[in-house]
Amino acid sequence: MKGRKLIIGFVGATQEAIGALTIVFSYILYHDLFDVQIWLDISAEHVFFYLLLLFVFGFVSIISGFFLLRELSQ
Amino acid sequence: MKKLKGKRELGLFQAVMIGLGGAIGIEIFVLFNYATYLAGSTIVFALFICGIINLLTMLSFSELGAAIPEVGGEYSYAKAALGGFLAFLTGWLRWVSNAFGAALAALGFAYNISYFVPVDMPLLTPLIASIIIVVLTFLSIRGIRQIGPMIVIAFIAFFVILILGGLLHGLEFKIFYPSTLEGASNVFATTAYTFIMFLGMRAIAAGGSEIKAPGKNIPRAILISAVVLMVLYCSIAYVTVSVLSLDDITKSHIPLTLAAKQIFGETGAIILTIAAIIAALSSLSTAIMVQSSITRALSRDGYLPKFFLSTHRRFKTPHISIIFGSIFYILFAATGVVEFVGYVAGFASILGFALVNLSLIRLRMKMPHLKRPFKIPLYPYVPIAGILVSILLLLFIERSALSLGIVFIILSLLTYHVGMVGYNRIRIAFGGMSLGVGGFVALFAYLLRTGYPLPISIPPHLSAIIFCLLIFICAINILAGVLNIVTKSKR
Repeated sequence: MKGRKLIIGFVGATQEAIGALTIVFSYILYHDLFDVQIWLDISAEHVFFYLLLLFVFGFVSIISGFFLLRELSQ
Repeated sequence: MKKLKGKRELGLFQAVMIGLGGAIGIEIFVLFNYATYLAGSTIVFALFICGIINLLTMLSFSELGAAIPEVGGEYSYAKAALGGFLAFLTGWLRWVSNAFGAALAALGFAYNISYFVPVDMPLLTPLIASIIIVVLTFLSIRGIRQIGPMIVIAFIAFFVILILGGLLHGLEFKIFYPSTLEGASNVFATTAYTFIMFLGMRAIAAGGSEIKAPGKNIPRAILISAVVLMVLYCSIAYVTVSVLSLDDITKSHIPLTLAAKQIFGETGAIILTIAAIIAALSSLSTAIMVQSSITRALSRDGYLPKFFLSTHRRFKTPHISIIFGSIFYILFAATGVVEFVGYVAGFASILGFALVNLSLIRLRMKMPHLKRPFKIPLYPYVPIAGILVSILLLLFIERSALSLGIVFIILSLLTYHVGMVGYNRIRIAFGGMSLGVGGFVALFAYLLRTGYPLPISIPPHLSAIIFCLLIFICAINILAGVLNIVTKSKR
C-alpha cells in the first residue's frame, strides 16, 4: 500500500512538473526567447499550431497529475 | 440557501462613484493605441457606439440589480433566471473577463512606470506587471480599502482639464465617422476591443446589496455613470486624435500621456502618467475584490471547492480565492500582449452581456410577479437588441483571442460537468487522455529515432537526450493514465 502511494505521488508530481514546464516552454516559444524558433526551425506562421499542441499536452498533464495527487490526500 | 448579503449603507452618490471608479480605470490608457490603429480617427464614433451598446445592457443590469440586489451581479441574475450550465457560464465568463482585465491593469501599470524608468528590456513589462499583482494580492489579503470618491473626482478633473486644454490648444478637424464599408467594419472591431472600457459600471449592480433604496438608486447610478463615461471617453478620444498624428498614437503605449505632453508640456505628461498609475492600481484592486466575490459565489453554489469560502484567521479576508485569482492574473499578464489580453476580456464580457439580457427575458417569463422597482423601457426590444448586438460584436473579435475564449467555454463545460457526471468519470476520461498523449509521445520518439523527416529540426547532438526525455515522458503519461483509470476514488 505504501509502495503504491509512493508511485502515485511520484507519477502525479512528475506529471505536474512536466505540465508546468510545458507551459513555461510554450511561453518561451511564443516570445522566441533564446532564438528557440530558429533553433527548432519553426516558422512564425506555424507557432500557434505548436502552442496549441503544447497547451493541450500541458493541460492534460496538469489535470491528470492533480487527480493523482488528490488521491494521496484522501 | 445561504445568501452573501452586505449592509445597505451606500447612497446614490457613492453608487455613482462605484460605477465610475470601476469603469474609469487603466483601460482608456492602454487600449487607446491599438484601437486607433484599428479605427483611425473614427475611434470617437466607435467609443460612442460602445457606450450605447453598454447602455442597452446596463438597462438590463438596472432592472435585474434592483430586483435581485445580491452579491454576485450577473451570476446571481443568471442563477435566478436560467439556472444550470448557463448560470455557471455567466459566472465563469465574468471571472475570465475580470482576470484578463486585471492582467491588462497590471500591464498598463508597467507601461506607465516605464515613462519614469525607460529601460529597454523585453521581459521587463511582464515582470513589473507580475510584481505589482503580487504586491496588491498581499495588500488585498491584509484588507486594502477600495478607491475613494475623492480619487474618482480627481480623475474626472484630470480628464476635463485635458479636454479643455486640448480645446484651447486648437484642434485639427478629422472625420470621426466611417464613410466606407471597411471603415464601418473597423469601427465594430474597435467597439469589440474597447468594450471593457465601460463595463466597470456593472460594479454598481454587483454591489447592489450594499446600496440604499436599490430600486431607485441602482438604475439612476448606472444611467448617470453611462452618460458621464460616454461624454468623457469620446471627448478624450476627440482631443487625442486631434492633437497627435495617428502614427504617433499607434506607435506609443502611452498615447494619452503624449497628448498631455503636447498640450501642457512635460508637467502635464508627468501628472497624467501618475494618474494612469493610480488608475491601474485602482483597476487591479477592484478586479481582485470582484474576482474573489465571484469565486466565492461559485464555491457557495457547489461549482468550485468549498475551501474558497474560507477567510484569513487574522485579516478576515477571503485569502484563498484572492491568491487563486492572482495566479491566473500573473499568467495572463506574462503574455505581455495588451491587444490579446484586451480582446479576450472583451470576448468574455460581450458573451456575458448577452447572457444578462437573456436572463432578463427569461426572468420576466419565469417570475412575472417578482417585485421590480425598475423596469426597462421598450421591453422586450431593448434586451433582444442587446443580445443581437453582442453576438454581432463577437464576429469582430481577433481570431487568437476568440480561440482562447472558446477554450475557456470548453473548460467551463468540463468544470460544470465534473459536478454533474461525477468525479470518477472525469478522472477516467483524463486517464484515457493521458494514455493517448503517452502513445503520441511514443510515436514521436520512434520517428525521431528512425530519422523520419519531422516538421521541426532537432540538433543532432541533442537527439539522443531528447529521445530519452520523450521515453521518460511517455512512460510517466502511460503510468498516470493506468493509475487514473484503475484507481477508484472514495468520493
